[in-house]
Amino acid sequence: MRKIITYICCIFALSACFFSQSLKAQTAANKILIKGKLIDSKTKEPLIGASVQEQDADKRTVTGTVTDIDGNFALPVKSTANKIVFSYIGYTAQSFPIGSTTVFNVSLVSARELVQVNITGQVQRDNGTGLKIDSRDLTTASATIQMKDLEELAVTSVDQALQGRLPGVDIVASSGDPGAGMSIKIRGTSTINGASNPLVVVDGVPFETSIPTDFNFATADEQGYASLLSIAPSDIKDITVLKDAAATAVWGSRAANGVLIINTKRGVQSAPVLTYSFTGSLDIQPTAIPLLNGNQYSELIPEEYQNGQGVPINIYKYPEFQHDISNPFYYYNYGQNTDWLAAITQNGYLLQNNISLTGGGEKARYFASVGYTSQLGTTVGTGLTRLNARLNLDYIVSNKIHFTTDIAYTHSVTQGDYGTTIRSVAQNKMPTMSIYQYNTLGQQTPVLFTPSSNVQGQYPGTYNPVALAQQGNNNGYADRITPHFTVNYQIVPGLLTLHEDIQFDINTNRVSSFLPASATGLASTLLNANTAYEFDTDAFDVYTKTNFIITPKIGEKQTFQGLIQLSSDDTKSVNQSLLTANSATAILQDPSAQGLDVGTGLGVASGLTETRSVSALVSGQYSLLDRYIINISLRGDGNSRFGPAHRYGIFPAVSTRYRLSGEPFMSGFKFINDLSVRASYGVIGNAPATDYSFYNNYSGYTYTYLGQTGVYPSNIELDNLRWEKVTGKNLGFNLIMFNNRVNFDAEIYRNTTTDLFFNTNLPSNLGFSTVNLNVGTLDNQGFEISLNVTPLKTKNWIIDFAFNIAHNENVIRALSPYVSVTTGSPLANGSYESTLLLNNPLGSFYGYVYQGVYPTQSSTIATDKNGNQIKDPNGVPVQTVFGLGNGKYYNFQPGDAKYQDVNHDGIIDARDVQYLGNGNPQFTGGFGPTVTFMRNWKLNLFFSYRTGFDIINGTEISTTNEYTFNNQSTAVLSRWEKPGDITQIPRALYGAGYNWLGSSRYVSDGSYLRFSSATVRYNLNQTFAKKLGIKSASVYVTGQNLYTWTHYLGQDPEISPRAGDIYQQPIDSSTTPPFKSYTIGLTGTF
Amino acid sequence: MHKKIIYRSVLIVTLVLSCSCNKYLTLYPQNGTIRQQFWQNKEQLQSAVIGVYASLIQGVPDGGTSKTQGNLQMAETLFKWGELRADNITTPLAGSYVDDVNVMNGNILPTNYLVQWYSLYRTINLCNTVLLYAPGVISIDPTLTQTQLNAYMAEALTVRALMYFYLVRTFGDVPMKLTPTSTDNDLVLLPTTPQATIIKQILSDLSTAEGNAVYTYGVVAYDKGRVTRYTINALQADIYLWTYDYTDCITACNKIINSGQFGLVAGDGNFFSTVYSNGNSSESIFEFQYDGSTTQTNPFYQMFYTNTGGSLAAQINVQGSLFPVDPNNPKNVDVRAAIASNGGTGAISKWIGTPNSTATLTAATSYRHWIVYRYAEILLFKAEAEAFTGQGQDALNLVQQIQTRANAIIVPGTSLTLPAANDPVGVSNYVLDERDREFIFEGKRWYDLVRYARRNFPTTLPILTAPILVNASPALQQIILTKYQDPNSLYLPIYYTELQLDPNLIQNPFYK
Repeated sequence: MRKIITYICCIFALSACFFSQSLKAQTAANKILIKGKLIDSKTKEPLIGASVQEQDADKRTVTGTVTDIDGNFALPVKSTANKIVFSYIGYTAQSFPIGSTTVFNVSLVSARELVQVNITGQVQRDNGTGLKIDSRDLTTASATIQMKDLEELAVTSVDQALQGRLPGVDIVASSGDPGAGMSIKIRGTSTINGASNPLVVVDGVPFETSIPTDFNFATADEQGYASLLSIAPSDIKDITVLKDAAATAVWGSRAANGVLIINTKRGVQSAPVLTYSFTGSLDIQPTAIPLLNGNQYSELIPEEYQNGQGVPINIYKYPEFQHDISNPFYYYNYGQNTDWLAAITQNGYLLQNNISLTGGGEKARYFASVGYTSQLGTTVGTGLTRLNARLNLDYIVSNKIHFTTDIAYTHSVTQGDYGTTIRSVAQNKMPTMSIYQYNTLGQQTPVLFTPSSNVQGQYPGTYNPVALAQQGNNNGYADRITPHFTVNYQIVPGLLTLHEDIQFDINTNRVSSFLPASATGLASTLLNANTAYEFDTDAFDVYTKTNFIITPKIGEKQTFQGLIQLSSDDTKSVNQSLLTANSATAILQDPSAQGLDVGTGLGVASGLTETRSVSALVSGQYSLLDRYIINISLRGDGNSRFGPAHRYGIFPAVSTRYRLSGEPFMSGFKFINDLSVRASYGVIGNAPATDYSFYNNYSGYTYTYLGQTGVYPSNIELDNLRWEKVTGKNLGFNLIMFNNRVNFDAEIYRNTTTDLFFNTNLPSNLGFSTVNLNVGTLDNQGFEISLNVTPLKTKNWIIDFAFNIAHNENVIRALSPYVSVTTGSPLANGSYESTLLLNNPLGSFYGYVYQGVYPTQSSTIATDKNGNQIKDPNGVPVQTVFGLGNGKYYNFQPGDAKYQDVNHDGIIDARDVQYLGNGNPQFTGGFGPTVTFMRNWKLNLFFSYRTGFDIINGTEISTTNEYTFNNQSTAVLSRWEKPGDITQIPRALYGAGYNWLGSSRYVSDGSYLRFSSATVRYNLNQTFAKKLGIKSASVYVTGQNLYTWTHYLGQDPEISPRAGDIYQQPIDSSTTPPFKSYTIGLTGTF
Repeated sequence: MHKKIIYRSVLIVTLVLSCSCNKYLTLYPQNGTIRQQFWQNKEQLQSAVIGVYASLIQGVPDGGTSKTQGNLQMAETLFKWGELRADNITTPLAGSYVDDVNVMNGNILPTNYLVQWYSLYRTINLCNTVLLYAPGVISIDPTLTQTQLNAYMAEALTVRALMYFYLVRTFGDVPMKLTPTSTDNDLVLLPTTPQATIIKQILSDLSTAEGNAVYTYGVVAYDKGRVTRYTINALQADIYLWTYDYTDCITACNKIINSGQFGLVAGDGNFFSTVYSNGNSSESIFEFQYDGSTTQTNPFYQMFYTNTGGSLAAQINVQGSLFPVDPNNPKNVDVRAAIASNGGTGAISKWIGTPNSTATLTAATSYRHWIVYRYAEILLFKAEAEAFTGQGQDALNLVQQIQTRANAIIVPGTSLTLPAANDPVGVSNYVLDERDREFIFEGKRWYDLVRYARRNFPTTLPILTAPILVNASPALQQIILTKYQDPNSLYLPIYYTELQLDPNLIQNPFYK
């Protein structure tokens, strides 16, 4: 902390120095009194309270006064060399040199009479560093989207809106629940361990989105926490994605996964403009996979048990299957047709209200907004409410000094269900079970039916999902305030500028969860009955950035901008948690209610971590003849997460742009606005996700032994952990033609990650189970193309069409021996094998080839290559067997799954395992037209797609394995039941057999084309709007996720591999498809 | 003027930078300490040694179907390794785990979660840490004496030897690591070390430790919960017996017997509470000290409490066959019978029952100590060794001592007949039979059977197969008989992820 104060003091001292410089200029002179009167130019009425100011050459106010009730003023001015400025709200300001004039009678013109002027000019894009570079001069790969284009979408978070819109940016939802996080990947995964989400920069300052590493209790998970990007979408002006390493390198260690630069709206000089917008949407959960009803289930289970165990099911041991009315308790409680999924599903809605006020005068400008969002999830017990407020203030002291103050506040409450398994438990639950308990007389009671254990097991394997949804919770409460101050000072106008940023980020999060015994049926004495958990984490972050920007004029044909930047970041995070159990009733859901707090795992825990980083950056952009542009930067980073030997890293970047269209010989091609080639090279370093890992930390046990406290080393000291480095190479191509009506952008790239971090598992004889090491080299390579065209542009009609496509593959190039190259076992049901092969893409998986079901005993005889039966030396036909290793075999029976015997040895074993597919899409992207008619009607359609990837249908595995007492999908109605049945679904086999080995049966092509959204928008006619007393208004209707074209039979082909999994098996375990939503929205400006 | 400004800004930038970056970036963890700050005085040394013991009871109780590495308490592992493959345990169907059932049926694959050894190696690493860094403390803390230091080291050596002894008895050949994994420079991919080499190493460690360990800490609980010289002798006796070194075994046993510090607790109405409920009895030599007041409960409630779907229960033959009923007087019972299990539910009373009552413990009160060695076992160790060294009568006397204490019920036809004193095999089998009753559900049975079966393999194999066939379903009997013809089958396979992660490990050939 002291360091920060010192630093801040230095900055102030620095600023003070420069102020003293400018103050010196004001030497006292003879004061001259100036008088006059201000009137309205039209009405000739006096202007009361108008401002009269004396300004120096830098437009800094020296003295000032206001006019009286008659519009008169008198002002003693300090220097006649200054100017006098008259301004009044709603009027155009006027200024005059003072000189020898002492009386000013001025009439001001009302701003309302001014014709609206559209200011055109080259868009200047701040790449975040502080350099102002025209977007046409960018040397790096980036893409920008204006939030205006997305405002019709009903989203609570920006990342949702960006899905499919930007080439090379792959955004996948981790769950459909309100407040759930999204996985954002820019050009694939360049890092496997820790956060793979990009760095988010808001108004020039990094915005922390990661989850504190001390978030460690098993009862909460990342999804329950995600308050990622809690910026109201309506506050955002534009979003830029920096993709190549040369662009992101200037952002340093956290930018290895790309950078999202978000600029919020700011006030402009105008009368106050009040904007109100409303969106309301209805979310409908489509029907899930059809499951067996109670009657079908009751038929399946006895058959399954008989097949698997060789004896009929013992209905005295399992009275659940008795169905005997003389035992009414079991007859009624296990004789229903319950649709468990439907019982925990509801229609959701999303309501968003937002009011913003923007405007300002010559000196001060403002943008203020307040938004309120409430969402009800489609699973019972989930929801989100959020309140956002933002105030962006600009104060222009003079031409030289410009202050801004931005304050953003977010309060959100995310309601969730306890744990993440509720939908899968509902799917697996016996449909014969009743939601509410019947008593021994066969009468239904209002008590939720929750036996502590039954044939399906006990908590956490199963529970009553309705009770959990109604009475359990896992709520997140987040409050975040981010004050951000900047001062911009032109030390030497036109040459040297100082830009100073300081941002405080105060982020408090509280998670509170409760597991009711009424859902689990656990005896009240058990440690996980009525478990109440409270977790509180408070993070405090200070970020400072000092920029010196040099913009020398070095002739007409060349330009140069230079930058020296120093930045520092300090994050402290404190957390406490409390876990108690056995509270008296499910109503007492807070751990502070008297409960048991002594027991294994119960009690209090706390933690404190701090991370610091510093960096220095030197960067420059030079342009010659507007054709040859080069940008060079060198960044030095220091990070407290490394040991002394590897603490600092130096990361260079070079990027160039050659504007072919600027060459004289191209002047004949008038239709080409811009034709450029870009090339870039850059290195970025990535720091590890945890603090203090380079120490051998000694921790205490949470309990005592013999009343004494013990200490143990809790990690392996990482002396050798180095920066993970991403070296990016990019070749880009820009073509703009026909007056910006054709805009084409292509990129080809390769990002090589060396010293890849991986939290590898260790052989446990080393005494630790995992360690974070630099384990290898990973390449991400691919291309991106985006095309925006305006094929039709007439007075009444404008048609725009956008298209983007991207391809990325990741290939492992080197690997440490400490990484296990295989995962999964071909011996186990439901398991696919993955092997890391050098120079091969990740995400490939292997298994058997499924060939249907053996219909009869004779079909189980092994055959050789020619299809002839294999016979043993005695001439007896050999049966096909499944090799369990260790000389043990399982003889395939009629009705069992048939796997291809690749080597024709009669034994299905690891030697018959084949390549089955890869989970990385060949192409991803989106496209869609926008049609504008008469400037008032707008139709926007958007489609997104991913093609050429395979999915392991985990849901199919669990709903057709016929292996447990879990409910199954209706697909099993066509199962094999008697010899001769020809079917694709093997016989039901309780707890036995090898019918659901990882095979091609569950693998399918996941390619899809999704009709993501359609919007019709009507802007109210200007003249009509005026009659209503409003400036402008519009109404729109949007449908989202309308239809998906796919051959995939699972719930939804949009899946993301689990983070931290180097093998990246694409397993789809979703139980419900993403919901469709229909939105209506209104926007009015006053 | 510009020059001046540039000059000033350079000055200030230098000033800012000179707030030394390195110092700014050096942060220390605030909750906990680091190795460089540790190992400074004898108090820290002691807490590191206590940490070794605390790791023996680390982990969470069995709470569900997902068993993850390192999550299992060591006592659960030791119980299952010592009992599942033997003849005293069965599974109630409702709460059983597939992997448990597979082990019982002898259908063990390298993917079975029970073959994970992480919790033992975690403790070994802590012992290794103490052994490497403790000697450095003496030069920093002058109040630490060499004798104290040696005693602490002896504790670490002994716990490490105990862990390795469990490992070699369970897996045969295992990797042997004698140095700690403290930094990433210490990472190695170890090969398997032959069982004999490991046993040689731990015997030599134990003889070092024996000379340095204390006889007593002055507090009863410490004497039972930490390593004393008698713990070392008990472990030595067990290892010598495993290697069929009977003379050394008897010597080690005599050291304990002659110390006069131990005696059998009377087999009266207080026997259950004295030895098991309360623990740390005068009979006890070494116990894992679970303690309810310190938040660490043992895993047994969740494993055995049948009403909530516990996963394991007593085999039906335990009552009536192993503990026969006196046909003349049903009230005349072996005191150990009711302690072993509840005749009705099969709940294992030794771990979750309460003395003289059918009530059971609750999750919160389930903190009985895991008994590693007690005096009764020393007597039976000695008896077993004596059987093979021509002192059969003395051996039978020792067995009788145990039987008398427990009021053993001898029912002709059900109980084993008393062998002739000069029949080594007969006497030793008689000892084994008594061990079954005395240490039932204390994680000993399987290792006893293996020890007897290995002695003169394959002649002695029926000693192992005969009892386990009682438990096996008829369909599996022939398979089990064939399987155990291979002596490697007596050991468990190495868990498959260990092999994936450490290419130098060699799988037990029986499981290849």
